[in-house]
Amino acid sequence: MNYDFSPQEFDFCIKLHEAMSPYAEEKIEALRSAADLRYHLDQILSLLADTPYLKLGIMPVEGLNGLVTLMSALEAIAAISPSVALSIGHGTHIFGRIIDAWGDVAQKQKWLNPLLSGKLLGAVALCEESLNTDSDALITSGVRNGNWVTVNGHKPHVVNAPIADWIAVAGSLDHRPVLFIIEKENPGVSIRARKRTLGYEGTAMADIRLEGCIVPMDQVIAMGRSDGLSGIRLFENQLLTGLSLGLMKSAFEAAKSHAKTHKSGGKPIIAYQEIGFKLSEMLTLYQTAQLFALRAASSAQTRPREAESLALCAKVFCTEACETVSGEALRILGTAGYEVGKGAERAYRCAKYGQIAGTSTEIARVRIGDQALGLRV
Amino acid sequence: MDFEFTRDQLMFKKEIIRFAKKEIVPRIQAFELKKQFDFESFRKLGEFGILGLHFPEAYGGGGADVITTVLAGEALGEAGVDGGLTLAYGAHTFLCADTIFRHGTEAQRRKYIPKLASGEWIGCMGLTEPNAGSDVASMRTTAEKRGDTYVLNGGKIFITNGPIADVAVVYAKTDPEKKHAGISAFIVEKGTKGFSSGPNILKMGVCTSQTSELFFSDCVIPAQNLLGTENEGFNMSLQTVEWDRSALLAPFIGASTYMLNRCVEYAKKREQFGRAIAQFQSIKHKIANIRIFGEAARGLVYRIAWCKDQGRPLNHLEAAVAKLFVGDWSMAPSNDAVVLFGGYGYCHEYDMERIFRDSRLAPIGGGTSDIQKMIISKLI
Ligand SMILES: Cc1cc2nc3c(=O)[nH]c(=O)nc-3n(C[C@H](O)[C@H](O)[C@H](O)COP(=O)(O)OP(=O)(O)OC[C@H]3O[C@@H](n4cnc5c(N)ncnc54)[C@H](O)[C@@H]3O)c2cc1C
Repeated sequence: MNYDFSPQEFDFCIKLHEAMSPYAEEKIEALRSAADLRYHLDQILSLLADTPYLKLGIMPVEGLNGLVTLMSALEAIAAISPSVALSIGHGTHIFGRIIDAWGDVAQKQKWLNPLLSGKLLGAVALCEESLNTDSDALITSGVRNGNWVTVNGHKPHVVNAPIADWIAVAGSLDHRPVLFIIEKENPGVSIRARKRTLGYEGTAMADIRLEGCIVPMDQVIAMGRSDGLSGIRLFENQLLTGLSLGLMKSAFEAAKSHAKTHKSGGKPIIAYQEIGFKLSEMLTLYQTAQLFALRAASSAQTRPREAESLALCAKVFCTEACETVSGEALRILGTAGYEVGKGAERAYRCAKYGQIAGTSTEIARVRIGDQALGLRV
Repeated sequence: MDFEFTRDQLMFKKEIIRFAKKEIVPRIQAFELKKQFDFESFRKLGEFGILGLHFPEAYGGGGADVITTVLAGEALGEAGVDGGLTLAYGAHTFLCADTIFRHGTEAQRRKYIPKLASGEWIGCMGLTEPNAGSDVASMRTTAEKRGDTYVLNGGKIFITNGPIADVAVVYAKTDPEKKHAGISAFIVEKGTKGFSSGPNILKMGVCTSQTSELFFSDCVIPAQNLLGTENEGFNMSLQTVEWDRSALLAPFIGASTYMLNRCVEYAKKREQFGRAIAQFQSIKHKIANIRIFGEAARGLVYRIAWCKDQGRPLNHLEAAVAKLFVGDWSMAPSNDAVVLFGGYGYCHEYDMERIFRDSRLAPIGGGTSDIQKMIISKLI
């Protein structure tokens, strides 16, 4: 057992924080055009490519601890810019982990190198119209024609859709789940208008329609029976867990600093038990969530068989804690926090996404229950 | 970072669970209903080596590290051992015996630790007073130095093992003018003239543990019964906090696993509307809530234990966070477990209602949740 970060991990997270500091969320939120957004992300990607960040969870990095370090790094980045953390989380980490887990040697060579050097941005299109791949079958499918496959389907709410170079589209081929790795410019791919969202406003999200989209077979990745899809869900759940830590951090810090500096009745409001105790409960949730997230990430590396269920538990806990902490932060901040664009206000809006996206809180609880009951392995 | 237990630790945990299920759990119900202490089970804990697990072998202990010791507490909870017995064990081993071990002279260690580690003697710790609970520094019990003796006067309340203890660690004012800096700790043996205990205080939970007042009326003890240095008592009491936030919280985490297992068993068997209630989503949600609490709390408690194993000074913020989380957030899952069992959950026959009642102590004993919030808000 060891509850300490290594000196390298500490150093890495501090440097990451420093490097990301100029890229506050306000900047990316203001960018509405896909080209501007991509330019902004490219700058950040090239900066991150000089650090081990993009590689975390995909390949080992000396002195760092894979997914565990990634959790802390996600927290650090999401506290500065949740949208950047989400976009790169999908575009590099989930996309990269998919290629790394199921891609063949040639596929890895083709996509991993540019991805890890920050020159490529991906998107992952998993959900179907019903938005729930846990209970509903994939409708998107391919029909084989020699060395080519024709893909048809509709994927709503795809993170990075308007700005990605390549899209990993989950579908079925010969009744088996596969991923079609499709270039954005591929004929038959249409990316719909970027959506306005409650939170993560600096993330480009859009629906994708695939109509007669012809893809070469070497851009198809087989995922075994069905674990592939739950594997991708696991990656996404881990990402959302890490993001919720960053959101909590920014909301908690904003509330704490306000409580120490804002005076009422001649004393800082933290001196009132109502405020001090609220901060204590928030910190308790935040610290508990941090440890839980790290432990779940660690177990994904050491005990993969238990990874999914522990990751679901951590995701439910951390994302719910995130909503509570950011909600309470708003109460402490009063009108000062109600202004659009302030840390806690943003965290509060983003928090909801964590419970909806990936395996939703409700479905996650059912799955955790099922696993405990032995109804699902 | 690495959150894994060693193979030996996990095997030891399994052994304890097996032992407790066989030797202790079948006896609980009878003692719980009579609200009596189960001396036999306590003695068995001693025989198995749990009462003195972390003391060096030279003193009759098991020489275990802190993580293993905390794991033992979790194992007892997971086996289904009641909160009354685990509290009695906690007060005996960590609040009493460990204070003697840590601050006592070699003679005091040799005299008390082997007897306490084996369970031959039962120990208690008296800090709380009728008018000094959260604010312990306002205690009124005094210890006046007279020649080579101290004379104790005053009283304590809510003392776990009070009515059955052979030896007590008692905190009293040696300098009544001062607050924290005027408190000292003493060893007082049962049968000492002027020392008595009241009857068992009936409680809503942890019913098999015996709780009472302690009375000191011109109670004369030898000066060598002073523990450590005079007026250092408050700091000594703070040092038990490390155990309080790890070993004493661990049974609550174990109990959540026990509840989880019992709920799973019951939900699969119990049928309503023509199918097992396990099929209903709301039941799965309750089961999930219980698991999530246990998994979330575990990291906090073992972090304290691990730091103690590293010889680091207690991080009071992390300790308060662990206590507050286990205290306040354990309520909902134990409530869920009672509701999942329906009417049976409300009856003594099924132990969910006992665990629910036992869990109510977590936000009170050893420093209330409010006090943890006070500590956290000061430290941030
Ligand atoms: C079953 C059981 C076993 C126990 N075993 C032992 C034992 O072995 N040895 C021992 O010494 N003691 C023991 N105790 C005592 C226990 O530690 C105290 O009950 C506890 O510290 C609280 O003290 P109190 O009961 O006097 O409550 P009080 O301190 O009177 O508190 C009453 C209420 O006021 C709140 N409060 C107090 N101060 C503040 C503040 N500053 N700000 C906000 N809220 C505040 C508290 O949170 C609580 O809600 C035991 C108690 C129980 C119930």
